[in-house]
Parts: sequence; C-alpha cells; structure tokens
Amino acid sequence: MNLTESAAIDLSLGDIKALDQVIDREALTDLANSLFDLFSISLRIYSARGALLAQAQEEAAIHAFLRQSERASQALLEDIEGVSALIPEDEVAVYDEVTGARYQVIPLAYQGRPVGRCVLGPYLPAELSEVPKKLLKLDSALGREEILAALMEMPRVREGTIVEISNHVRCVLELLLFSNHRAFLTSEMHLASVRENYRELAQKTEKLQDAYDRLKELDKLKSNFLATISHELRTPLTSIIGYSEMLEAGLGGDLSPDQREFVETIHTKGDELLALISSLLDLSKLEQGVLRIHTEPTAPAALIERLADTFVPAAHKKSIDVQQKIEADLPKLRVDPVRFHQILSNLAENAIKFTPENGVVRFEAELGEMTQGEDDGGFGAVLLNIATPAVVFRISDTGPGIPSEALPRIFDAFYQVDGTSTREHGGTGLGLSIVKKLVDAHQGKVSVESTVGKGTQFRIAIPLSAESA
Amino acid sequence: MQIDFNARELTIKLVYYGPALSGKTTNLQAIHKLVGAESTGRLMTLETRDDRTLFFDLLPLSFASDSGVKIRFKLFTVPGQVIHNATRRLVLQGADGTAFIADSQKSETKANQDAFLNMRQNLKENGIDPKTHPLVVQFNKRDLPDIRSDEEIDRLAKAGKEPVFKAIALRGVGVLDTFFGLAKLSLENLEDQYALKSKFGIETNALLTQMRTKFGGRSGA
Repeated sequence: MNLTESAAIDLSLGDIKALDQVIDREALTDLANSLFDLFSISLRIYSARGALLAQAQEEAAIHAFLRQSERASQALLEDIEGVSALIPEDEVAVYDEVTGARYQVIPLAYQGRPVGRCVLGPYLPAELSEVPKKLLKLDSALGREEILAALMEMPRVREGTIVEISNHVRCVLELLLFSNHRAFLTSEMHLASVRENYRELAQKTEKLQDAYDRLKELDKLKSNFLATISHELRTPLTSIIGYSEMLEAGLGGDLSPDQREFVETIHTKGDELLALISSLLDLSKLEQGVLRIHTEPTAPAALIERLADTFVPAAHKKSIDVQQKIEADLPKLRVDPVRFHQILSNLAENAIKFTPENGVVRFEAELGEMTQGEDDGGFGAVLLNIATPAVVFRISDTGPGIPSEALPRIFDAFYQVDGTSTREHGGTGLGLSIVKKLVDAHQGKVSVESTVGKGTQFRIAIPLSAESA
Repeated sequence: MQIDFNARELTIKLVYYGPALSGKTTNLQAIHKLVGAESTGRLMTLETRDDRTLFFDLLPLSFASDSGVKIRFKLFTVPGQVIHNATRRLVLQGADGTAFIADSQKSETKANQDAFLNMRQNLKENGIDPKTHPLVVQFNKRDLPDIRSDEEIDRLAKAGKEPVFKAIALRGVGVLDTFFGLAKLSLENLEDQYALKSKFGIETNALLTQMRTKFGGRSGA
C-alpha cells in the first residue's frame, strides 16, 4: 500500500482518487509480468494523472527493424504519442499503428470514478491477412521480406481472445483495487475507532478526575470540621463533667438520693460523650497524619493485664468469663502504651458488647510472626511474604460473628455491620477504624477471622524491634 | 458532500442508521441487486462477524445526469450494536442525509427509540443540526407478525415531519422508495445550501426522474 499518499484518501466518503493510492507498484508489475509470460503481449498501467505505474514489455522485432529508417522511426514515434493520447472514457479503445499491430486501451474505473488505464499491446490481430500497404510504403529501402519476417514474430491474437484478455486484466485490477481499498478502509477505521474511543475515555477520565478532586477537597474540609467541632465540644463538656463531679463530691451541699442519681447519670453520660468526641478527634488526627505516637519499651504482659483490669468488671456484669493467656518471657515491644491500650480497649469493648451472657472473651499474647504486604492471592509471595518475628495479640469472643461480605469493610470509618436504626448495639462505627490506623502507625498488622454464630477473633501483630529481637 | 467542478462530479453521502438487526445491510444488499450493474460497484462490507456489521457497509452508486454532471452516491450503514458508538459517530461524519431503518416489530419499539436518540446525539456531535438534516424513516420487516399496524404508523407519521416508508428489505420491497425519498430530501437540501441549479444546471426533480429511470429498472418486487 502506498502510505505516502494515504492521507489523500477521504475516510468519511471512503473514496480513492487514484490507482496507486491503494495498490503498490510492485504488485502491478507482477501482474504485468505474469500476463507477458502467458501471452507475450506487453502491458502498461497508467494512473489517472498519466503516470506510468508498471509495465512489462519487450521491444517488438518489427519496431527494432523499422528504427533503421528515419522516416519509419518518425512514424513509430507518432504512433507512440497516439496511443498515449488515447484516454477512453467508459469503453475499451483500440489503436492501430502503422505496422498493422494493434493496442487495446482499457479504462479503469472505481466506484464511478476513472482511476487509470491499461495499454495492452502491440499484438497482431489474427484476422490481419496481409502486410498493410502503408507499412511497405514507409521507406522503400526496407525490404518487404524482412518486414514480413519481423512482423511475423509479433504475437498474433484473435479479436475474441484479446477482448477476453482485456476483460480479465480489467477484472483483476478492479478486484485488487476493491480488496485493497477494503483492507485500507478497515485499518483506517480501526485506527479511527481506537482514537475516537480514546478521546471519549479521556473525556470521561477528566470528568472523573474533577469529581475526585472535588471529593478530596470536601473530605479534607470534613476532617478539619471534625477536628474543630470536637475541640469546641470538649470545652463546655469539661465544665459539665467537672461541675457534676463537684456536685457528687458534695461541694454544693448535700444531695438527696434522687439528686445524686441524676447527677451521677449526668457524669457518666458526660464521660461517654467525651470518649466519643475524643475518638472523633483521634480519627481526624489519624486521617490527617498528625497524631503523635510516643513509643517506649513495653511488656506485652503488662498491656494484657491492664486490659483485663479495665474490662473484667464490665464482663462480670454480663456473666462473661474473661480468660487470659500470656506466653512467658515475651520480649518488650516499642509501642505507645496509651495508644496501644486504646487499640486493645476498643477491641475488648466490642468483644464484651457483642458476647451474650455466659459467653467467653479471651485476651492472649504470644510470640509469632507477621508478613509485610497485602494478601494478593500469592502475587509476589516469594518476595513479599517473608515472615518477621512479632508479638501477636488476640482478642476473641463468642458473639454472633461477622458475615463474610461485611469483613472487608469493618475497618472503614463509620461503617457498622448492622447499620439499621433499630440495631441492638450502640456505637459510632469509629472504633475499628481507629484501631486499624493506630496499628498501622505502629507498623503492625490487624486482621480478623469470624464465623457467624460462633464468634470473632481479632489478631494484632506488632513487629519486634531490632533491640528486642 | 463533495463537489468537483473540474470533473463536473457530485458525491453525496447517505447513511443508513438504526438499531441492531433492523435491516440496514439488507437494504443496501437489496439496492445492489435492484440497481443495474452499470450504476453500482461492489457492495463493500467491512469486518463482519456472525453476519453483524462491525464497521460499515459501503455501496457506491453513480450515474451521469442529462446535464453531463456525474452524480455519485455513497451509501453507508452503521453498526447497530450499542457498543460500536465510536464507529457510528465516525461513519456519520459528513453525511448529507440519513435513512433511519426501524424494526416494525412492537417488541423493538424501545430499541428503535434508543437508536434514534443515539443518532440525534451523534449528529450533534458531528456538528450536524438534526432539525435541518435530511432524514427519512423506514419501517422494515412489514411481513413479520406482531408489528405496529399501517394505520398506527400513518397516524404517527402525520405528527412528524420526516417522510415515512414501509419496507420488506429482504424481498426488496420499499427499499428503492426509501432511497429515492432520501435522495430527494438530500438533493433539495444541497440545492438550498449550494445552489446546484445555477452552478451545475442540476434540477432536482429532473434528476430524480432520471435516477428513477436508471436505477429503478429492476424494481417492482
């Protein structure tokens, strides 16, 4: 295919203007050669603009012979010009030269448009019975016998046959044009479609990017708002709690039993509200990455014991058995004891909240290992799944369990497995989100396993620091 | 459209649009069969899979008018399946007129409507004003059961401005009428825009009569 001219093809109309736009010259030359091999008739193929695209020819013996004479050469030259000037419109045109030999000039059209022409010949019509007189008269110096001998070397073809040959040439060329044109349009359409699809996708991507940027901006505003509002809420709340404590302590005078009960309720609920506001503040700090972690060497056993001290009273109220198992001689971990207690507390609080009466909650700590990277179904496991020593904390309950479809989302902020307004258990949906972010801040890993109807187990792995390993 | 003043040649692009399997390609095949070989080239089908058009079909028609001007029509189909929208938009580029081939079956009402709205959108995206764009509607497959009735189509057609044709493209019924209807609208529109009569001496009605004689020789199924 002639690529240099392909730009001239109008894709929207699917037009071609010239033969050589879709057929290469080598293919045309091959066609001319094969025809010459078959019939010994010369073939020349011209574009619509008259450029010679391909040819297969041998000088005819009669032409070579006539060139000896100046007058005959002149006559031959006129014939060559005559053939070249013959541009047929629809039908095949015939040109008879001085020798009596003949040319067929075949017009080539494609989709209603002339695209070029073929010149088939010279050949001697088989019907020609004698040497044309004007040939003999060209130059008396040329011998009649020699002229005849040279003329007889020219291929002789019957008119019926030559019509078949020219029809065949025309048919082959038009087929070549058609199939090449089709292949060309197909590839152009492929490219154009790909470009068009790309343009469409790029447009959509841009819109999505804009929407994403706007959402990110909104998210930032939300975090700022959370931080500000939490802070602003805490100030009056501190007064509410402080004054209720003072009332309880009798600083405002003796209270009647009813008054004491009311004040105690104000105090407890105030504490709950403070805890909630603190979690919101923590979350927004964690999301903005401004929460500081103050690590110090901490014994895992101390962490579990403190946890048990905090939660055993609440568990006993629900007749829940709290079991502890701490492996002996665990190395110290570099963690922030306050924040780590928050991690374990959030999990323990959930465990007790969701465990029915007479259930069991277990707090465990043991030596184990952890792997970096996410579980990508074994992708790059040979490089990523290298286990490093870690202390593993486990908090398990015998609660209702978490359905598997909810598991991937439980660490999302504000997500709750039971999001209905009539849910049985309270909470904000912030606990686990804070757990995840705090564990990440300790370079640890939190994971969960749960069986519906049996219970849930959270596992926190904290890598051993270099000095303790 | 393309005008070549030197060659005294006019090329007009007509697009057959419509939902998947409504018979766009069948229309072109029928025209190819009905119109004499001297007026038409091969029907070119680009990339089909399971008899569904992927890119387009292209049927060239040409004839010399009495005024000596050569008129060439390029009839295109678009792929009907929803996913090929980019191709449809590309094929619609530079269209001088559009035939919307609707499926007469009642069950296809929604598909017809969706394809029509899609055509309107793609015309707009190609910078073509649907309000002034020459458009005819063909209700194809009139031989099938459970189709919208003639009376109903006639009643609905009265409310609209596009000429409506009924066809059984598989049998060649109505396809030439649709084509001539579209050619008429397109030529009239081109006359308004390019003053073909004064520049070319082409008179639309005379041209249509000549076209009917030359192209319509074998119609009448």
